[in-house]
Amino acid sequence: MYGYVRPVKGELKIREYELFRGVYCGLCHELARRYGPVSRFLVNYDFTFLAMLLAGAEEGKCCSRRCVAHPIRPVRCLGPCDSLSTAADMTVILGWWKLADSADDSRGIQAAGWKAACAMLKRAYKKAAAQRPGFAGAVRENLQALRSLERENCSSVDETADKFALILRSIAQGEADAARRRTLEQLLYHLGRIIYILDAVDDLAEDERTGAYNPLRFRFAPEQGKLSPEDERTLRTGLQMSHNALAGAFALLGENPYSGILSNTVYLGLPAAAQAVFSGVWRAPARLHKDRSSL
Amino acid sequence: MNDPYSVLGVSPQATDEEVKRAYRDLARKYHPDNYHDNPLADLASEKMKEINEAYDAITKSREQGGSGAGGYSYGYGAGAYQAQGGAQRQSAARNPQYIQIRNLINANNLVQAEAMLNAIGNHDAEWYYLMGSVYWRKGWMDQAGQYFRTAATMDPSNIEYRNAIQYMNQGGQAYRPSGGMDMMGGDMACNMCQNLICADCCCEMMGGNLIPCIGCR
Repeated sequence: MYGYVRPVKGELKIREYELFRGVYCGLCHELARRYGPVSRFLVNYDFTFLAMLLAGAEEGKCCSRRCVAHPIRPVRCLGPCDSLSTAADMTVILGWWKLADSADDSRGIQAAGWKAACAMLKRAYKKAAAQRPGFAGAVRENLQALRSLERENCSSVDETADKFALILRSIAQGEADAARRRTLEQLLYHLGRIIYILDAVDDLAEDERTGAYNPLRFRFAPEQGKLSPEDERTLRTGLQMSHNALAGAFALLGENPYSGILSNTVYLGLPAAAQAVFSGVWRAPARLHKDRSSL
Repeated sequence: MNDPYSVLGVSPQATDEEVKRAYRDLARKYHPDNYHDNPLADLASEKMKEINEAYDAITKSREQGGSGAGGYSYGYGAGAYQAQGGAQRQSAARNPQYIQIRNLINANNLVQAEAMLNAIGNHDAEWYYLMGSVYWRKGWMDQAGQYFRTAATMDPSNIEYRNAIQYMNQGGQAYRPSGGMDMMGGDMACNMCQNLICADCCCEMMGGNLIPCIGCR
């Protein structure tokens, strides 16, 4: 999806790194198993994080498997489990909407490409939406609300980010335990805010060039795709507050087999992603920038 | 009650020092300051109560009177700490409606609080402050800051408004393990020292002490 939500590799234990790879591969396999091989392209770090966050107290069974990406040497891969299927369903739903959004936003041959991708995943989307009607409804509603805010050139970062944050928050709605649900809701809401705002910062220069909507263009007065140091500080203070709210919720969640990876992602990964986005190296090719490739 | 040792995450064979360290780490994690004006504050204070009880149970069963029994626990109960910042504070509110709105905010009933605020025509400093508090709890940090600043401009002498802005400017507060990073582009070392020194001052007022526990690491 966006890829901001990932651990800092160098700070993971080797055991944790292998487990993380296993969950990522597991999500990819689960996507293929439930929705066919095309849906594999939707696999991403954000939903890998989600699968680990929603996992129960017991570690899932791992197996060794070959796949298109690893045809010769089999890799360790997490077997099917509840949190993986939830993450797979939601990956397809949000992924499909994102493709549809891109199709709406672009023109010419590019738009045709996005539309073709949408069409290929239409059946998968329908199946996933039938599995998770609550989440699919929340995505549709909030993306529509976001669209209309964009059309009226909304100048509130909070209001636009709120819509995306509500999408992520709705992931927690199936949680039976009330305290855990509240905690996850708070965590996911602020995670959504952080992702949305980082994405806006990342896209700012390009949106300014193409004239596309970006809340930061209306909230602040960026020049040549850069925020003034003062505006950047205001924005980062807001992010810091969301990050603290997220960290506060995270501390209240119980331990699970992925706690080490999750806490790396929360305490190191997110700040590192923010740093990379604000310093402009996030978009650059990884091999050119050590900062970026160490993530 | 759960097994006090598993609550603190130590084995029953742990030394007193290890028990104390585990207790302090957890107390730092669920400290009310980290959940200041936070919709999850009640869950954090439940945790805090649980670890306080576990620590008390262990120290009692080990019959180690005197040294640190009770830790820096009860001073952090509901009353004293919530006296800081945000809508939790008692105010000399002139308007009885504002008292009702404050209660709604404290009870996390933000929809009704916002509706009541919107029904008020005259927007004084207190109005902006309370609106800021509603936004803060909702997680709309940018808007919250704008309302708090308006409140403070309209009534510069109000300490409550100034504290809210100060708290916002530092980006709030939460537990981070050592080495954790923040979103401002720095590591937490400096902030952590500040927080610890701050927490130590508070603890000393309550008869406890935090700083020595860093010294021994």
